[in-house]
Amino acid sequence: MDLFFQFLHNTGFGLADYRNLIMIVVGIVLVYLAIAKKYEPLLLLPIGFGVILGNIPFFKGFGIGIYEANSVLHYLYFGVTSGVYPSIIFLGLGAMTDFSFLLANPKLMLLGAAAQMGVFFTYLSALGLGFDPFEASSIAIIGGADGPTSIFLTAKLAPHLIGPIAIAAYSYMALIPIIQPPIMKLLVSKKEMRIKMPDMREVSKKELIIFPVVGMILCTFLAPASIPLLGPFFFGNIMKESGVVDRLANTARTAIIDTATILVGLTVGASTQGDVFLNHKSILIFALGAVAFSIATTSGLLFAKLMNLFLKEKINPLLGASGVSAVPGSAREVHLMGLKADPSNYLLMHAMACNSSGVIGSALCAGILWSFLMG
Amino acid sequence: MIGFEAISHHNGWVAAATGACIVFSGLITLSIIISQLHKLVALLDRPKTKVEVVSEEKPVQPQLPDCPTDVSLIITRFMPLIEELDPEFELAELYILAKKYHVPHPHLSIRSLIESGKLHPLGDGIFRYND
Repeated sequence: MDLFFQFLHNTGFGLADYRNLIMIVVGIVLVYLAIAKKYEPLLLLPIGFGVILGNIPFFKGFGIGIYEANSVLHYLYFGVTSGVYPSIIFLGLGAMTDFSFLLANPKLMLLGAAAQMGVFFTYLSALGLGFDPFEASSIAIIGGADGPTSIFLTAKLAPHLIGPIAIAAYSYMALIPIIQPPIMKLLVSKKEMRIKMPDMREVSKKELIIFPVVGMILCTFLAPASIPLLGPFFFGNIMKESGVVDRLANTARTAIIDTATILVGLTVGASTQGDVFLNHKSILIFALGAVAFSIATTSGLLFAKLMNLFLKEKINPLLGASGVSAVPGSAREVHLMGLKADPSNYLLMHAMACNSSGVIGSALCAGILWSFLMG
Repeated sequence: MIGFEAISHHNGWVAAATGACIVFSGLITLSIIISQLHKLVALLDRPKTKVEVVSEEKPVQPQLPDCPTDVSLIITRFMPLIEELDPEFELAELYILAKKYHVPHPHLSIRSLIESGKLHPLGDGIFRYND
């Protein structure tokens, strides 16, 4: 009988802590959102399942948990803490990004820059709330709406916050359909929503091949700390555009990015062990993340309206919201909002141009913040 | 430490302003460069070797022999044509025949024949050859 009770005590039921149970519920909600509501299922399903997995109670010291030195999950988690997975994801992202829309209309790149204002506003807010500059930078980058960039910078500056920051970043990326539309409706009039964008010029193959080289040189000269992200990103893109290594480009945009996404999602989810994750800092990070995301969207929209004061050919201000780098979620949301205002207004391709600019902008921000704190 | 004091203590204002300026200037520079990229591509697309400009050759005009001033030579040339015509013929008929057989300077030659009296006008554009 003693053996039975001892066994019962050593099971998850016996070891369960209320914090683990809360996190398991959170995990189930994320899985539900991914499957039933289809909110960014590629991200939320691995993360949600990882949250459940990481909160199964277990004996400490037997190499089971993600924070235990010799566990399998710990080895997989190394890709997160070392910043390897984000670089691999950026490689795949580059191999699937089409810059022709951006090259055809370069002024849309400014909207990608404007949306990064959320990062710096949140940096100030986090400092004001008592976070140190390393933690504040890691939290601020959530405003870039780029999960891999958030993980990368946090791994370098505040590794103890990877769990909450990654979850916040990916959650807000998944919740774009809930966060962005009210801000768009608030700041953009119906008349502005109906502004049609002109047809794009045809971009030559040579332009598409030259761009990754020029882009990488300029951005990495400006912020060398962004090399681990922008290097693979532009390399992936030149593989795609050159057309001479189609096999490699295809692998980068399918098998490689998928593998990295699975591992990053699962391990980041598993890193949210209740006893480590549930504290006041995590709650503050989630709140600041929401602020960062909203400010990023707002600054993009307002900057687009500002540009219209000077442009002869007006741009649709909704495009400002896609300056965040949540690819392709925010572009899709902008497109849908434009369609609601005018069923013949197709903004998707233009929004994708802003989106790809946002990816470069957020990686640049990460490099700049890291550079500030290196000294 | 919290609030504005914390921000100032960590040089937050300067860092945020500088960071924002760097991101903006970086992306503005990149957008300017890519807006000019098609011009660079157009330059690259120019052929490397200088194209040899071949002037369009003017169609070679057959060198016509000088208009003969010697009436006997003109008569030699025109006699076969006159023999083809009726004894009284229109000047236009002779001219057409001269053009047909590529006799040089038909206008001048016919005029010389008229002036020399070898072609005698009968009126209404009709002529007759005088031996």
